[in-house]
Amino acid sequence: MIVGPMLDEWYPVGIFGQLDEAGRKTMLMGEPIVVARNGNGDARVTDSTGRSLPVRVRYGHVWTSLGDPQKELFAIPEADQPGRRFVDVGVVRVRCSPLRAVENFLDIAHFPFVHTDILGAEPHTEVQAYKVEIREDVDEVWATQVQFYQPQAAKSASGGITTQYMYRVAGPTSTVLYKTCPPKPSEWDVITLFVQPLTEDLCDVWPWMALFDDDTPMTDLIHFQQTIFLQDRSILENQVPRLLPLDPGMEMPTRADLTSVAYRRWLKRHNFTYGAQLVAQ
Amino acid sequence: MTTLLEPSVPGETYTLLRERMTIRGELDADSFLPWIRRHASKLGLFQDIVHSGPDRIEVDLAGAPELIDMMEVGCLLGPINVWVETIDRRRVSNAGG
Amino acid sequence: MSLSHGFVRGETLSCIYHGWSYGQAGNCLRIPAHPGLTPPDAIRTVTHPVTEADGVVWVAVDEPTAAPPGLAGLVPLRSLTAFADIAAIEAAAGVKATADGLVNAGDIRLLLSSTRDGETLIHVLVSADAGPAARIAAARIAEGLRRKAEDIYKKGAAR
Repeated sequence: MIVGPMLDEWYPVGIFGQLDEAGRKTMLMGEPIVVARNGNGDARVTDSTGRSLPVRVRYGHVWTSLGDPQKELFAIPEADQPGRRFVDVGVVRVRCSPLRAVENFLDIAHFPFVHTDILGAEPHTEVQAYKVEIREDVDEVWATQVQFYQPQAAKSASGGITTQYMYRVAGPTSTVLYKTCPPKPSEWDVITLFVQPLTEDLCDVWPWMALFDDDTPMTDLIHFQQTIFLQDRSILENQVPRLLPLDPGMEMPTRADLTSVAYRRWLKRHNFTYGAQLVAQ
Repeated sequence: MTTLLEPSVPGETYTLLRERMTIRGELDADSFLPWIRRHASKLGLFQDIVHSGPDRIEVDLAGAPELIDMMEVGCLLGPINVWVETIDRRRVSNAGG
Repeated sequence: MSLSHGFVRGETLSCIYHGWSYGQAGNCLRIPAHPGLTPPDAIRTVTHPVTEADGVVWVAVDEPTAAPPGLAGLVPLRSLTAFADIAAIEAAAGVKATADGLVNAGDIRLLLSSTRDGETLIHVLVSADAGPAARIAAARIAEGLRRKAEDIYKKGAAR
């Protein structure tokens, strides 16, 4: 398997707080790797030959790359903002393409059907027009002015609200969602989906959150996010074809799918094709 | 042509648009034109390709606005050997259509 | 996403992912993200002839040439997915499917349908006069058979 330009990107490979010296044996794009904490307390990632891979510890997670990253790991300024609670949600293994996991996270039209009575409910199914752009300065996909009616937008929400969203694709398998923060309307809650590509059709998904919510017990915050993601998993593991098509010839994307289409255009432009299918079939 | 556009439910009326879509980019007409025709017919849109070249394709489309949106969204990606830079749309009059 | 995971309301079948619903002729009736749109006839899904016989729903890929096999005396017990092909399931049962497509695996009968490469849907049937205890036992036998078939398939695929 030739990975191509995605080799030089950063990927999450574990929760920093859970590392020990024995290490966690895992995989990155088909390569066995070990993620460990060394005697000084620093994270260390090695491949099967014992070679040390580049490491960053950010947003609760350890990040590495099999190649030679030309760009620093993307910034999430909210991660340094006082007053936020940071939630390491944990890991969910999904038998799907890592790119499919990201695409599903960018989609709101499925909320009433997959996350019924939580993130959406009939008859509030309409997806209003929103804006999508590729921001050239940071080379990221951004969708803004997204809004959707939600019966229970967050653990801290009491009753239905129209939630505002912004989506951001910061790396081929890293995506950040900004959404209405019920207890603090002037700020955005940050919910991310960091995806570790194990193979082209298997991934470990590490959601992470930076919230303004001092009241909800940590267990409930984690449980809420895991409930949502397990609902997504039942969809993701049954998608056909398994790889993400970069040619939509067999699909019928609508205006509601503009974020997904922008993401796929961005992947296509960068030749990020690990987990993608080039020809519609 | 109008038979293609009649509402499926009798008595219901559509707002029908006729638009010219101008696609610019690095376009491979040999693969993109059949792709455009197939996608437009899957959407039940009236279609007429009025110009095609390596960097610009113009297609007239008529149908419900949401369906023309779907055509645009699909064409933004297109087949793998095509890179679409921009898509512009403008209304054209029905006269002569 | 396969419509098999979807839901039926009235006479329409809807996709579980984005709720697109389809009529019996296969034409799309509704795209919930765009409620103002009446989908044109061109947006449709493929349809297949379907019939019900002896408690089993049968689908024909093309026009069927014969009626489904009779299953008199049998009742459907449960359906389960095996990550194995039909050959591996036959090997696990120690018997090939009959011309009718039935696998006679001791106290249970199986109907197999391949859903995708390396994945098979197993419909388990038991004798209509089997009591609760016999049905529980049959369900366990089917579960064991599935595991055995998956092992056989995994070993075969590894070679």
